Amino acid sequence: MYTLIKISWRNIWRNRSRTLVITTALVLGIMGGIFSAAIRLAAEEQQFEDTIENLVSHIQIHHPEFIANPEAHYRIPDGKVVAEEISEQAGTAALSARLVMDGMAASANMNTGVRIKGIQKEAESQTTKLDQLLEEGTYFEEEWRLPSVIIGRQLAKDLMVETGSRIVLTFQDVDGEIVSSSFRVEALYTVTSRRFEERTVFVQADLLGELVGDTEAVTEIALLIEDADRYREVTDDLRSQYPDLEVRHWADMEPALYYSLEVLDQILIYLVGVIILGVSFGLLNTILMSILERVRELGILLSIGMKRLKVFSMVVMETTMIALIGGATGLTLSFIMIRILNQHGVNIPGGEGLEDFGFASVLYPDLPTSFYFEIGGVVILFAILASIYPAWKAIRLAPAEAVRAE
Amino acid sequence: MQTVIKTEGLSKTYTNTAVPVHALRDVNLEFKQGEFTAIVGPSGSGKTTFLNVIGGLDKPTEGKVVIDDIDIATMKESKLFDFRMRHIGFVFQAYNLIPVLTAVENVSFIMLLQKRPKKEMEQRAKEMLEQVGLSDKLNTRPAQLSGGQQQRVAVARALASRPDFVLADEPTANLDTESAFNLLDIMARLNKEENITLIFSTHDQRVIDRAKRVITLVDGAVDKDEHFDRN
Repeated sequence: MYTLIKISWRNIWRNRSRTLVITTALVLGIMGGIFSAAIRLAAEEQQFEDTIENLVSHIQIHHPEFIANPEAHYRIPDGKVVAEEISEQAGTAALSARLVMDGMAASANMNTGVRIKGIQKEAESQTTKLDQLLEEGTYFEEEWRLPSVIIGRQLAKDLMVETGSRIVLTFQDVDGEIVSSSFRVEALYTVTSRRFEERTVFVQADLLGELVGDTEAVTEIALLIEDADRYREVTDDLRSQYPDLEVRHWADMEPALYYSLEVLDQILIYLVGVIILGVSFGLLNTILMSILERVRELGILLSIGMKRLKVFSMVVMETTMIALIGGATGLTLSFIMIRILNQHGVNIPGGEGLEDFGFASVLYPDLPTSFYFEIGGVVILFAILASIYPAWKAIRLAPAEAVRAE
Repeated sequence: MQTVIKTEGLSKTYTNTAVPVHALRDVNLEFKQGEFTAIVGPSGSGKTTFLNVIGGLDKPTEGKVVIDDIDIATMKESKLFDFRMRHIGFVFQAYNLIPVLTAVENVSFIMLLQKRPKKEMEQRAKEMLEQVGLSDKLNTRPAQLSGGQQQRVAVARALASRPDFVLADEPTANLDTESAFNLLDIMARLNKEENITLIFSTHDQRVIDRAKRVITLVDGAVDKDEHFDRN
């Protein structure tokens, strides 16, 4: 075995430049594949964290009419009781019972349509981590004469206001009467989605309840579940528990994001598949060329009694060695590349436009260590598969003819 | 003297050509232990085919090749590999060393396939390289050796594992006269010292003049089988 390894090792360096070219192709292929995978995973995690977990939550529950008419009138019957029941169920990680409605926000300079979210301070920070999204200001700590409102950075720009400024929110109470109230901007939050930033404001639910005429009113229950992958199952369970309510999971609420993630998954599979196939065929071609150049030598090995299985193993070993060199180098360089990119971030071209759809313009790729081993395994597997044809060609040689080959 | 190889009614016809080619026709020969035989004849007379068939590299269409009371013509291919490794030494026309192995590794190679003890293998390989006058080239790779030196390594490899007989297909064809004589001297000496049966195919008069037995093939059939008393 040692001699076989020695021969294989020396064989791959007989044509140094050819081996270096295919090894480089392998290294670049692996780096390209890992870069794509890391970017894709970072995009998915970022979108999940920023859009789903920080804004939308995994599942939301509303009155069936609320989706078309987001008004305080369409409250969830016994909303606080329902919220309490769900929060006690196994699998619920966090829950926020909100009083949500559409309205208008006006400053001295401008007015615009907004969604007003009345929240419980503590519950919301556990559900959407709103307190961590603040760019400036404090999280409902000020005790001003006017009640506090937290608005998005983009809305602040649109209304030309800043923290401490006064804005007026106008909305309908539970009976459909118009209510207006002044608020002072306590903080500005920032999220990836520019649309969310310019459309959503947060106030405290108790105060909003008083203004709409029902302090117990809940129009929206948003929840995070412990196992995010089980969102469809949990949604179905809740639908059967509360048949009169509208229970929707994140993929229902953000179909564009859901499909973009799905499409991204498919593209990545095709991309990595094409890279691996391309590199495998390159490897196959290299080994096949080296076999065709060594017909006479292989004929001599077969003539003097080297068994076909050993010749086969030798060719597979040569391919595997190239894959190991290329694989190890590619994975090491990829690991370093991902570490560097994780520190500095990757600017996505045209990323600012993507923010409107919940995509970050800068991604911080990261990959679990196991992923590198998985890719390494796939590369070795494909290298072995690529070596089968040349190895088969080698062992099909007739020794008597091969030794006389020119 | 003991018979090492015996062929009976040996025929070989190639049918994968436009017209069937009768490369061997009813060849009946016996080779004794320690013989130094040249198989001669014009191109296409069947010399190489004869060596391939008695060396188990090719199967005859008809007839027997009996070695050690075994007809290798009927032997399964997997067993033939083992048989060749243990019983037959080969020297080919040229470039018959493994380029990535050194001279001593090349000579040890067959013994390695035979799984001989490492110490014995190294000792025998060095001894054989010394016998062919290459004790100073133990760790040299084939590319750094001349054609004649490479053939001497090939002879050392063929003899190192002490096979029953050695088949050499035109071993001097690519050598200059000095190298050819040098190689022949070595082979003749080893034939005598190791009592190994040597069978050459050749049309090189220098080889023919050294052979104790000269078999002439014409159109695949034995035309002449002559014995000479040479030392």
